[in-house]
Amino acid sequence: MRSYNLKIAGYNIRVDSAADGPELRPEERFLRNICESSDYDIQISVHSGAFIIPEESERVFIAPYIVEIKGMKTSTRDNFWSIYKYKSELLLITNFPFSSPAKKAVLKFSLNTREWDLWIAESGAATDPLEYPLDGFILYYLTAINGDIMIHASGVNIARHGFLFSGISGKGKTTIAGLWDESGAKIIHDDRIILRNTGSGYSMFNTPVYRDDKPLESPLTRIFIIEHGISNKMKLVRGASAVSLVMANCIQHNWDAGLIARLLGSVSIMCSSIPVYQLFFRPDRSVVDHILENG
Amino acid sequence: MFDLASVPSRSESVVTRKTGHEYVLVPVVDNIADMNSVYTLNETGAFLWELIDGKRTVKDLIDSLIIEYDVDRDKASREVISFLDDMDKFLIIR
Repeated sequence: MRSYNLKIAGYNIRVDSAADGPELRPEERFLRNICESSDYDIQISVHSGAFIIPEESERVFIAPYIVEIKGMKTSTRDNFWSIYKYKSELLLITNFPFSSPAKKAVLKFSLNTREWDLWIAESGAATDPLEYPLDGFILYYLTAINGDIMIHASGVNIARHGFLFSGISGKGKTTIAGLWDESGAKIIHDDRIILRNTGSGYSMFNTPVYRDDKPLESPLTRIFIIEHGISNKMKLVRGASAVSLVMANCIQHNWDAGLIARLLGSVSIMCSSIPVYQLFFRPDRSVVDHILENG
Repeated sequence: MFDLASVPSRSESVVTRKTGHEYVLVPVVDNIADMNSVYTLNETGAFLWELIDGKRTVKDLIDSLIIEYDVDRDKASREVISFLDDMDKFLIIR
């Protein structure tokens, strides 16, 4: 196809293939997010070929490939993605770990405009313009523009409760989502969640990661920062401690003071109305009962 | 290492937000490895943080802590030096 709209976490993303652009073929995980719309929050024009980074550009952020060897995370010499600043625009350069090494992309965007451009080199005849990791970048900068929050978390909805379980990799997000799933809760996601203030309260939204994902939303009533423990224990945290714990699990590109200030403000406001707990849990059904009795 | 005559100053590469009597500090970074570093200052740390202006000496900070919290000089000195060493370690002050 040449153009389509995606509704993800309430954002309307329009993707158009430019005159020099490739055929667009969204991955299966995005198909349930495609919607009919003539409007958009951002429009991405997709071009074929390489975009030459201007020499005067300044690299402001870099992410090397991280590989895990025997449980140890190690950076490799290769760059995974980088962000450059050029005048008032930002240039995000990335590789695609699940495609040919020759395939690269440059996203030219700004936090003040709604029309972005994407160049994909060696895209083939058809390509998904939101192939990993571009999907995460685009959603992250949409949250940044809108004062929303993208966080490593699993979310569950049960009996008018919306619980968010946040932690970095290995803390048990998928485990705890599985336990709630067995208890009949609706699972919003077990990887990354977008939190938005909808005016009547906070809502959590899933994002397309797995092939069978469908758009889901739930009110947010409690936040738990999770750790494995020998027994189930939860402790209410307030103020700066709550803000710090949530911030540490947010997806954030902290190369810019303005971006940090915006996220810090959003998290602080959210933590003033949504209770935050530290939760140590045993990986069995008892944690579900513990939260329902004490949460 | 800080001594009584040292004049600490805040790093320009840190974003702060006051929450109640405490602070949350987030450093500006240029790579993903340091991306999720977040620090919290308790009430005493927040009090010292607000005094650090690139003009006051370590001795000034100790004197202020003694007056504000009615603690003896030894304890105040230990607290201030320990606080500054921690902040220096995380490149939050210079």
